[in-house]
Amino acid sequence: MEIFPALLSVITDPTLLFAIVLAAAVGMIVGATPGLTASAAIAMLLPITFYMPPLFALAFLYVIGKSGRYGGSVAAILFNTPGTAASAATQIDGYPLARAGKAGKAMKVATISSVIGDLMGDIMLVVGVGFIASIALKLGPPETFAIYFAAFVVIGSVIGKSIVKGLASALLGILVAMVGLDPISSEERYTFGSFDLSNGIGLVPLMIGVFVLGEVFAQLEERKKTKGEIKENAIDPTGHSLTYEEYKPCIPHAVRGGFIGAGIGVLPGLGSAIAAFISYGEGKRRAKNPEQWGKGALEGVAAPEAANNAVSGPSMAPLLTLGIPGSTIGAILLGVFLIHGIQVGPTLFLTDKELVYQLFACGMLGIVAYGVIGYFGATQVARLILKVPVNVLYPLIFLTAFIASYSARGSMFDVTVMTVAGFVGWLMRKYDFNVAAFVISFVLAKGAEETFRQSLLMSDGGALIFVERPIAASFILLGLAAMGFRIRSIMKERRLAEGGLGDA
Amino acid sequence: MNVVRVSENSDPDNLLSEFERETGMERQAEGIVLAILAILAIWGAWQVPGASPGDTWAGIVPFSTSVALLVLSSLMILSSIRASSTGREMAGSESHGTVDILILFAIAMIYQQSFRWFGYVLPTAIVAPVVLYIFGVRSWVGLAVSVVLCPLIFHILFFVLLGVFPPYGEVFDLLDWLQG
Repeated sequence: MEIFPALLSVITDPTLLFAIVLAAAVGMIVGATPGLTASAAIAMLLPITFYMPPLFALAFLYVIGKSGRYGGSVAAILFNTPGTAASAATQIDGYPLARAGKAGKAMKVATISSVIGDLMGDIMLVVGVGFIASIALKLGPPETFAIYFAAFVVIGSVIGKSIVKGLASALLGILVAMVGLDPISSEERYTFGSFDLSNGIGLVPLMIGVFVLGEVFAQLEERKKTKGEIKENAIDPTGHSLTYEEYKPCIPHAVRGGFIGAGIGVLPGLGSAIAAFISYGEGKRRAKNPEQWGKGALEGVAAPEAANNAVSGPSMAPLLTLGIPGSTIGAILLGVFLIHGIQVGPTLFLTDKELVYQLFACGMLGIVAYGVIGYFGATQVARLILKVPVNVLYPLIFLTAFIASYSARGSMFDVTVMTVAGFVGWLMRKYDFNVAAFVISFVLAKGAEETFRQSLLMSDGGALIFVERPIAASFILLGLAAMGFRIRSIMKERRLAEGGLGDA
Repeated sequence: MNVVRVSENSDPDNLLSEFERETGMERQAEGIVLAILAILAIWGAWQVPGASPGDTWAGIVPFSTSVALLVLSSLMILSSIRASSTGREMAGSESHGTVDILILFAIAMIYQQSFRWFGYVLPTAIVAPVVLYIFGVRSWVGLAVSVVLCPLIFHILFFVLLGVFPPYGEVFDLLDWLQG
């Protein structure tokens, strides 16, 4: 019930409302611009939020994240270039609809389904988060470490093409987080005598480097591949209205997608791309017109879009209750909480309950804002994006990355970290390492280490404490089982591919 | 990034086997780089002094993480050797634009270092048109405008409106000179 007074307090604050609407517009534009992601925008804007009150900063970035997920569908439908990985599922049916002159219809379906899915996710978050927090309060260090362990394994093995590279990315993230003074004994680790390194690697420059500068490098490479040509599709703004009769068959797909997305969102690391593809597959399996899917079915847009956006709210549950970000956007938001001196974890619901529910309220209003902007203005946003000269945009982003990373702490060392992180981020992308696993593991590492060492102290150095306690053991098993399932599915895909090649 | 490029004039069998060899070597190289990183990390963790009585060793997490990384890199090397011998590898990375990216990275490194020597304004005025040119802007007027506009806009946004203290150039600071 805490959500209603929170909603009231947000609605009566015109400055906050303006920030929400602005964030919805910015997120949508960023998400819809091919090559730009909400993560990059949030990382770039992060230093600016240092100068804002905590709720204002969190709400602004949270709504950009939500709106950015939706904005990805605009690029997928109109330009055949998914703005986010999750939008690739929307592209399957969205682009054929655009080719058939039904771009406006497809975008309206995407907007309504995104709003349905996102609201479902947020309602489940509001209802369930307090319950999860009350359980989290009862967990000891071994159980918390086991959850961290499961998160590392799931994030490393489930996202991306290669389990080995995913896990290696997670381990590299942990190793980078270990640079600096040990928080318990103050011993130096990996500092090589450097004073700058003894303060550790900052989250903000690392994020800006990996997501912003890394993306600029990737875009330069992409431009070379396409020889500077940007694929553009004609937009017909007339005759793209959507009737209730047309949307009616999409409703069950949107609702199912909402449940799938919310369920997947609560598990750290799985992310919206997996939710969108599962929802698409499930929708097609249950559809009355499966033969139409892939050729331009409106239901094929509704199912993945609802799931994609439903992930957003529930992915905040592990972040707020356990301090475990479920996504890259969650990892950046964790940084915002820490910058503003707010300790994330189960105690957050005792110390800053009002702030948390106000943030949820801002999220819900953000959904309404991007829904309205998207429904009435998606075509105009698309036109605007087509007018943005990409060859000017990326140099400006390049320059912003440097000043943004400097602004965080006024440290030149941070700028160096950002530059190196940018190059490393590009290398990781190029060689199919998992950037998300690297960053999320970097964020999780400190907490995981603390609980691991506390557990060892509790058991006088015995590692059996993690298997003797049933909750801890079950989380460790859960992580291993997730990896086992992933290995099995990869083997199955490989066998199918080999079979396919054999037939050819 | 994994794309198989096949030229119309090439013999597909020869091309594929050559391609598989290249990809196997590439994956092997990735594994070797990771293994070197892991060995360095193990060495770094080993430098952490031992724990005092009643405490845990500060190097336990870095050490166990780097050992795990070494195991994974060994797996990568082994699987790449196996894939090369069985000819199962099917994909590889393209090297389009790598030189441009290396140039851009070099510019980025010089740019960030030049803040320490020349402050923010002068390096930005020089780097802005260079990066625009790399990204394909060929309008001389546009490039000339960027020399003034880019440092000006960023300066106003971050150092005036947000109140961030600008980096001071040890050798020469244009902003300092302009402000007298």
